[in-house]
Amino acid sequence: MTTVIVVFALIVGAYLVAVLEAWTTTGRLSFASPLLSGIALLGRESIVPRKSDRIFFEVGPVLLLVSAVLAAAVLPLAPGLIVADLATGALFVNAALAYVMVALVMAGWGPDGAYAMVGGFRFLGQLIGYSMPIVMAIVGVAMRAESLLTTAIVESQAALPNAIYQPAGFVVFSVAAMSVCFLPPFDLPTAPGELAGGTMAEYTGWRLAVVRLARAVLVVTLAAAITVFYLGGWNGPVLPPWAWTAAKTLAVAAVMLVAGRYVPRVREEHMLAWYWKIGIPLALLNILYVGVVLVVGEPSSMSM
Amino acid sequence: MESLQQYALLFGMAVATVGLALCLGAISRTLGKPREEEGKDVPATSGKLHRDPVWARYHVRYYGYALLFLAFDMEMAFMYPWAVVYRELGLVALLDMGVFLAILFLGLLYGWSQGALRRQ
Repeated sequence: MTTVIVVFALIVGAYLVAVLEAWTTTGRLSFASPLLSGIALLGRESIVPRKSDRIFFEVGPVLLLVSAVLAAAVLPLAPGLIVADLATGALFVNAALAYVMVALVMAGWGPDGAYAMVGGFRFLGQLIGYSMPIVMAIVGVAMRAESLLTTAIVESQAALPNAIYQPAGFVVFSVAAMSVCFLPPFDLPTAPGELAGGTMAEYTGWRLAVVRLARAVLVVTLAAAITVFYLGGWNGPVLPPWAWTAAKTLAVAAVMLVAGRYVPRVREEHMLAWYWKIGIPLALLNILYVGVVLVVGEPSSMSM
Repeated sequence: MESLQQYALLFGMAVATVGLALCLGAISRTLGKPREEEGKDVPATSGKLHRDPVWARYHVRYYGYALLFLAFDMEMAFMYPWAVVYRELGLVALLDMGVFLAILFLGLLYGWSQGALRRQ
């Protein structure tokens, strides 16, 4: 039953993200447009390029969707409302999201097209940039919660959300999260206007519908991850827990979608340099800071 | 719930997601069949197929980062269990991991000074 509710919430979230994304790009607020374009895409022909690596081409979009859904499955929406409360939850989110890179490289390699190929390899470079900061930021969260259970992480923030407790980690994680779901300043693999759609260029018809759905689910998943790890998840006064999670997740998704519109797209070399020269030192300092605060703040552990 | 059950559930979700994608494909197929036309199935370029495979044109220019990434990636495998027991061990854990991280960080600084953090 919980699985059904979580999947339903994920679908509604993806739908709202699609509406929001259309709103931020075109300025028109239309609640019917994701449904209409979805139906239209199903009716169009879906072309498989000649000379393509057929398996990679078919598996890429589906793998993207699977990895986003699996990462969402270990994030709690409310007490008890979680598909699988794994003992390795925070690590599992990373493990599942690693397949985003695999999926995009597959989608890039598959059609044997120049634009798609460049897009796929660009995202591989992007992974080398964002993956260490995102992992290190989660370590700070796990240190405070003394657990990798995502529910324990939410409970540890009952008094003070991690966004205030460790602001450096919050900033690093949020920027890295935008890179994971290739939102505008970091949309190197798709890069509309520069790469002709990049990894999405060769997909048409229902395969494009799957790619777009996967992307929307990915944005929801990352927004939910920021909510769970840094904004206190379901904690909040007055409203029921699920409403808090929903409100925070949607707000984070909206901020992620809007923020990128005001920043020019970063170049791959700049992005890598900034992640390694600023992001990783900042994430390491965050771990050190949390470590010192935890040791100093708890006199009993100093006595050993 | 037992962990084996949880992983089974996650596997079920993965299979169901693949099923959803296949359903979309099946629906699309029932709506009509594309007409076979010459030149329609060429990847987005100038309308011609490449003579050579396209990967030959792409140079991976971030291999310096990739080597550093390997070092940090190995280290992260140790960070997670360390983070969970951190508060129990206290200062000792901080010093242990501090030395480990300091060595890696010095490696990063050395790589930086040698130009590893530059597009090759």
